[in-house]
Amino acid sequence: MLEKSIVEEVLGLALSSGGDFSEIFAEDRRTNNITLESGRVEKSLSGRDFGVGVRVFKGFTSTYTYTTDSSREGLLKAARNAAEAMSGSPSVRPQPFAAEPISPLHAIRWYPTQVAKSDKVGVMKQAYEIAKNYHAAIQQVMVYYFDEEQNVFIANSEGKWIEDQRVRSRLMIHSTATDGHKVESGSYGPGAHKGFEFMKHLDLRHYAGEASRIAVTMLGAAPCPSGKFPVVIDNEFGGVIFHEACGHGLEATSVAKHNSVFSDRIGEKVAPDLVTYIDDGTLQNEWGSITIDDEGEKTRRNVLIEQGILKGYLIDRFNSRRMGMAPTGSSRRQSYRFAPTSRMTNTFIAPGESTPEEILGSTEYGIYAKYMGGGQVNTTTGDYNFAVKEGYLIENGKIGAPIKGATLIGNGPKTLQLVDMIGNNLAHGAGMCGSLSGSIPVNVGQPMLRVSEMTVGGTKGDE
Amino acid sequence: MNVESFSHKLLEAGKRFGYADMELYYERVKTFGCQIFQSEIDKYESSEVSGVSFRGVFEGKMGYAFTEKIAEDSIPFLLENAKENAQIIEDEEAEDIFSGSERYREQTYYSSELQQVSIQDQVRLLLDIERLILAYDARVTGTNRCMLESSEKERTILNSKGLDLKDLQNSLTLYISVIVKSEGQTKTGTYIKITKDFHSLHPEDIARQAAEEALRQLGSRSIRSRAYPVLLRNDMAAALIQTFSPVFSAENTQRGHSLLRDKVGASIGASALNIVDDPNLPDGVCSRNFDGEGFATQRLQIVENGTLLSLLHNRKTAKKDNTESTGHAHKSSYKGSVTVAPSNLYVEPADKSYEELVSSMDEGVIITHLAGLHSGANTISGNFSLAARGYYVEKGQIQFPVNQMTIAGNFYDVLHSIQDVGSDLEFSHPTAASGCIGSPSLLIKELSVTVE
Repeated sequence: MLEKSIVEEVLGLALSSGGDFSEIFAEDRRTNNITLESGRVEKSLSGRDFGVGVRVFKGFTSTYTYTTDSSREGLLKAARNAAEAMSGSPSVRPQPFAAEPISPLHAIRWYPTQVAKSDKVGVMKQAYEIAKNYHAAIQQVMVYYFDEEQNVFIANSEGKWIEDQRVRSRLMIHSTATDGHKVESGSYGPGAHKGFEFMKHLDLRHYAGEASRIAVTMLGAAPCPSGKFPVVIDNEFGGVIFHEACGHGLEATSVAKHNSVFSDRIGEKVAPDLVTYIDDGTLQNEWGSITIDDEGEKTRRNVLIEQGILKGYLIDRFNSRRMGMAPTGSSRRQSYRFAPTSRMTNTFIAPGESTPEEILGSTEYGIYAKYMGGGQVNTTTGDYNFAVKEGYLIENGKIGAPIKGATLIGNGPKTLQLVDMIGNNLAHGAGMCGSLSGSIPVNVGQPMLRVSEMTVGGTKGDE
Repeated sequence: MNVESFSHKLLEAGKRFGYADMELYYERVKTFGCQIFQSEIDKYESSEVSGVSFRGVFEGKMGYAFTEKIAEDSIPFLLENAKENAQIIEDEEAEDIFSGSERYREQTYYSSELQQVSIQDQVRLLLDIERLILAYDARVTGTNRCMLESSEKERTILNSKGLDLKDLQNSLTLYISVIVKSEGQTKTGTYIKITKDFHSLHPEDIARQAAEEALRQLGSRSIRSRAYPVLLRNDMAAALIQTFSPVFSAENTQRGHSLLRDKVGASIGASALNIVDDPNLPDGVCSRNFDGEGFATQRLQIVENGTLLSLLHNRKTAKKDNTESTGHAHKSSYKGSVTVAPSNLYVEPADKSYEELVSSMDEGVIITHLAGLHSGANTISGNFSLAARGYYVEKGQIQFPVNQMTIAGNFYDVLHSIQDVGSDLEFSHPTAASGCIGSPSLLIKELSVTVE
C-alpha cells in the first residue's frame, strides 16, 4: 500500500525527538450501504476510505496523527506532528523490516466488490417480503445492507511489516407494527466476517420473521413492572449484559490506570464457579473475528475469567507498558482515524449444564429477557444499564405475558456474583461496540443464564 | 492532486460518462486533541483529513459515492459506483441538483482568536485543571479523562448548475471526568464544554464544577420507587431532546417514524414550551449560512406556546409535503447522503433560575446524568427507560443524592407535562447525526422512577 523507502523515512522521522517506538497504519476500504424502505431502494451509497495514521511512544506518552494525504510530503508532515509532542534527541533507530506472511483465518469466497448491487438488492427484497407479510399489523419494514472490504498495512520501528484484509457483510431488518394507536418495533441484524456468501446462505425466513414477530409481540405487551427480580437472559445477543457489566471493565483502557473495578485483581474470585468468560478473535468467520489486530499481533483465545477466577485482561501495546503485561492481540480501531486500543472481539460466557427448561422451570417469579437491546457501562463505578427489546414475565416457572419498556440497571461486579444458573445453549450475536477507538464490529454471546436479582426499571411503577 | 483540479477532472469525466447534473461536496477537517494524566501528556493527537462526496443524475436518478483518496484512480471509482447506485434507486421522488438560493447571509462562524490559541496554552489549561481537581478535596482520587479537542472544518459545495459555496467553522471541546471515593462508594462526575471562546475557560471554575459534580453524588441512598415530579437539569433536558429530535424531521414523519405526522397546527406540548432552530447563532457550534444541499438557512419557530408550527425540511421532503425547504438538509460528512437534521435547535428559556426551580419543588427528583440514551429510548413510540443519577428534593431543598435509578416515560407525554421552563439555556455536545440541541432546565409533572 505504501513504498518501503517512504515507510522507513516516516518511522525514522517519527522517532527524531526521542520517541522509543513508531508505527504506521494505512487503510484502503471500500464500503456499500443500501437502504430499502417500503420495498423500494431509497438510498445506496458507496465509498472509499483511505488514510494513514502515525503513532509514536515515549515511555508512557503516546502521540497519534492521521491524514488522508498519503503523498511523501503528507506522511512526513504527519510524522513530524507526531514527534512534536516529545522533546529529546533520537535514541532508537528503526529495525530492518521482516515481512510477515499471514495465513488468513477467515476465508472469503465471494468478494462484495465483485457482486452486482442489484444482487444485493435481491436479498434485501426477499427479507422485506418475509418481514412485511409476517402479519397484518406490520406497518413498515426497513432493510439495511452493509458490506466492506478493508485492506490494512501495518509497519513499526521494531521491524514489523504486515498486511491484512477484512471483509464483512451485515443485513439489518427493522419492522414496525401498529394497532392503529400504538407503534412498536423489532429488529435483527446478523453479520459475519464473510463476503456475499453470507447473504446467500442466510436464513432470511428466520431473521426477517423474528424482526416482525418482536414488533407484533410488543404491540400486545404490558408496561414492565419495576423492582428487583430474578432475570433469565436468553442466549446469543443476551451476552451484551456481560459485554457491558464485565467485558469493558477488563479492557486495558481502564485497567491500566487502576480505574476499573477489575484493576489489580488477577487471581481473585470475581464470579461464581460456574462462570467462564472468554474473548476469542479466532472464531471462524464470526462478525467480531480478525486474523491480526490493528497493531499486527495475531488474535487469540483469551480466557478472562475461568471458573470464577479472574485470569487476564485485554491488552494493547501501549497499555502493556503501564501494566507490565504482554499484549493479547486485542488492539483495535474503527479506522485510521483512531489510535488503536484494547477492545473486545467475540466475547462470550462458556456453556454450562442446565437446559433452558430447567432454568425457566426453577424460576417462580421474574423477568425473561428474550432479546436484548444495547447498553452502556461506567467502568470506574461498574454501573451499567441496558434495554430489553423483547421481555416476558415468568410466573410459576412458565413464560407468561409479554412486557415492554424494561431497562436493567446494576453494578457489573455485583451482578457477576449473582449468576446462579448457566445453560447449555451457547450462541453468538453481532453488534457494534463504541468506545475510545471508535465503533467496531464485535460479537457478544452466552447460553441462557439466570441472575438471581437485578433492578428492573419499567413504566408500570412499583410492584 | 489538489481538490480544484480533481473537481474539474471529475466533472469533465462525468459529463462524458453520461451524467446530466453533478455535485461535489468537499470537506477538510483539522483537529488537535490532548489528554493529561498525572501531570503528563498521556495522549496527543492531530489530524488533517479531507474527502469528496460526488452525486450526479444518471438517467433521471441520483447516484452517490465518496472517496478520501483525491487522486486520478478515484474518478472511475466514483463515476461507476454512483451510476450503479442510481440504477438501483426506486425512490418515487426524484432528487435534483440545486441551482442555489437567491441570497445568502455572510455571517462568519469561524473564530480566528480560537485558531491562534497555541498548543502549549491548550496543554497548560489541562494541566491546571487536573492539578486543581486533585487538590480540590481529599476524596478526589483522580481523573478518568482530562482532555480537549479543537477542530476546524471547511465545507465546499460545487455543482454543474453553477453553485459554488464555501464556509469555515471551528470549536473546542473540553471533556473532564473526575473520580471520587468515600466510605466504600466510588462515583464519577463529568464536565463537558464546547466553545469558540478559549478565554472563557477558567480552570478554577471548571475544576470546581467537575469535582463537585462527582462529590455531590457521594453518600447516595435509595428512595422508594414510584412516580415523582422530575427536574431535568439543563444539560440532561438537552440530552433527552437530542435523542428525540429526529421526531421533528419531515423525513421521519413521512416514513411513519414520528408521531408528529399531520400534527402541524396542533398542540403537541404545554403552553410554556417554545422550540426554535436558529442556524445563525453567532456562537453556535452548528451555525451555518447554507445547509447540506446549498439552501440558504434562516431561523425557524418549530413550536410556539405548545403548538407545532413547522417540521424540519430539506428540498426533497418539502416537495413531498407541498411546502418550502426550511434549510435543514444535512450531511453528517462527505460520507453521508442528504438527510434532515437541526442546526442549533433549542427550547427557548423563560424566567426562573435553576435554584428557583429547585425551591419551587415540594418533593421530587433532579436528574443530573442520563445513560443508555442510544438503547433505552424508542424514537418511534416515544417511550424511554433510561439509567439516571441525581438528587432527592423535599420542601424546595436538595436532601441527598440517589443511587443509580431509571426514569421511564414517553417523550410526547413529557412535552405536554412541562410545568416550568428555566432561564439557564445550555447546549449539549453535538453528534454527527443530531446537530446542536439546547435546553434550559425543565420541570416535569411526573416520571416513573425506579431506584437500585
